[in-house]
Amino acid sequence: MTGLILRTVVVALFAAIALLPISWMATMAFKPPAEWTSATAELTFLPKDPTWSNFVYVFTGEVEGQIVSLDRTVWWPLFASLLTSVIGTLIAVVAGTAAAYAVSREKVGGSIGLSLLQLRIFPPLAVMIPVMIMWAFLGMIDTWWGLSLIYGIVTLPFSFWLMKSYFDELPREIEEAAIVEGCTAFEAFYQITLPIVVSAVASTALFIFILNWSDYLIALLLTRKEWTTIPVYMNALATAASGQLYGAKAALGLIAAIPPIILGISIQRFLVQGLTFGALKQ
Amino acid sequence: MAEIRLEGVTKRYGDLVALDDVSLVIEDGSFTSIFGPPSSGKSVLLRVLLGLESVDAGRVIVDGRDVTHATPNARNLSMVFQNLALFPHLDARDNIAFPMIRRGATQEDIDRWLEQLSGVLSIGHILHKRPAALSGGERQRVAIGRALIRDASAYMMDEPIAALDARLRDAMRVELKRLQTELGRTFIYVTHDCEEAMSVADNMAILENGRIVQQGRPDEVYTRPETLYVARLVGSPGINVLAGHASDNGVDIAMGRIAVPVDAGAVCVALRPEALGLARPGEGELRGTITDIERLGGFSVLTVSGGEELRAISNADVAHRIGDEVGLTVDPSGMHLFDPQAGTRIG
Repeated sequence: MTGLILRTVVVALFAAIALLPISWMATMAFKPPAEWTSATAELTFLPKDPTWSNFVYVFTGEVEGQIVSLDRTVWWPLFASLLTSVIGTLIAVVAGTAAAYAVSREKVGGSIGLSLLQLRIFPPLAVMIPVMIMWAFLGMIDTWWGLSLIYGIVTLPFSFWLMKSYFDELPREIEEAAIVEGCTAFEAFYQITLPIVVSAVASTALFIFILNWSDYLIALLLTRKEWTTIPVYMNALATAASGQLYGAKAALGLIAAIPPIILGISIQRFLVQGLTFGALKQ
Repeated sequence: MAEIRLEGVTKRYGDLVALDDVSLVIEDGSFTSIFGPPSSGKSVLLRVLLGLESVDAGRVIVDGRDVTHATPNARNLSMVFQNLALFPHLDARDNIAFPMIRRGATQEDIDRWLEQLSGVLSIGHILHKRPAALSGGERQRVAIGRALIRDASAYMMDEPIAALDARLRDAMRVELKRLQTELGRTFIYVTHDCEEAMSVADNMAILENGRIVQQGRPDEVYTRPETLYVARLVGSPGINVLAGHASDNGVDIAMGRIAVPVDAGAVCVALRPEALGLARPGEGELRGTITDIERLGGFSVLTVSGGEELRAISNADVAHRIGDEVGLTVDPSGMHLFDPQAGTRIG
């Protein structure tokens, strides 16, 4: 009993520490400028005068109390982030799953798995500067396809290795059983293997989406204006007249947390599913 | 008519010869067990039959049709995998019906077959469950159901009951034999358990390093092993193998002399434990001292030493004690002589 209480207290404490920055951001999003500028006399956790004005400001560019209006509202960066993250995730998951399946089942590709890791061995800047130069030559700077493509490429190692570990775990006899019972190799993959690993695909997709969604460096280097994503846009949320727009940034931070949460909830039933439990004897 | 024929099948993995010129005929409606120690090529043989592995030489013929290069789904063979390989995302009903659905059977046909099978396998009450919710024995029966639901030329089983506990294994063994008799279908059963191989099959093939060393009815294999290897593999407790020297129509071994017409020279003498009978000291062909008695309920196993060691089966209420001097009689039908170098049968 004492153990249970102690455990609850410790867990609650850690949860509070972990959630503090997030809750701080959440309350800040509802504070009027007077409560987050440097002129604030006293800092409070909860807004004294809660307001939607930060949200209104990032979505419309103007709000009462802010002298400076924003050149760009959040709409387009939000769209850019969603589009490039989703396409990048699709590329990584589809190509990664296919490659992982081939390597896991047919032992093809030699050391392709390790080669894929090269993208991740070096510090991101060391890789991204050459990529930026290439992209500039190819005319892919500040395009949605240029950004989507690189998102797909840099997250491919994750989807490959995650999916490969799932396929390795899945006994090939399950597919062989399907083949013996009348399937072609592709049908066995499509009708049997894929439905079994769907939960793995879902969790891989979520993981990769979050990576892409929260990327700052790549978007900073490969976009100029039109296709800047939320993190880049957020960094630019400052004006000479008003300084850093913390309230607006907090509001944007809350908005940016929504898509991964929605995605996470919508694929939750796949995430909690076991993979092959019950297929085998033990 | 569903005769399966392997003609000179050879399968190599690099330098390793997994199957070496294997020829085998499996008759329609027979229950054939393929028996051998681990990695003797049993599973490869099944995989070659199924078409999951290609062959390097030889032919595979099913129902008179050469299927050596046919894809697995064109061979009309069915299989129960060693690890069962159920489809975890489908319930038991869909697992079993899968082969029928694949072949575009009507719902009526599927239901009819399912009903018949679930009666035979007594799985009617678990059809709605997924494999994860089934016990080991239930999964086993679902896997067997999936293999049996369609009208295949033959049904293969790769150690299908090896992972079950002993009691369940005995029950399943009887069940399988009954199923095969009832359905009159061709079963090919792979196992490394000799007792299992002998009890279910009416024909057995014994593999040694990818070669078939003997084939025949279980009782033939038992009573007339062609090689020392086979003699050692079948029977429990294992056969006694002793070094002997033949001369003047008799063989001398450390514990005595057994009269048998054989050419002079070194021989290997193999004696079935049940062919040895206890006698008073001085009587019988052999003599020794009892060094161990295992009382196994229905019978006892005695270890008798005298230069070499022998194990003999005796009745349960054996009155002897450890340390007693005894004589042993030898029933010639349980004695086999082998060439000590080649391991082949003499006489």
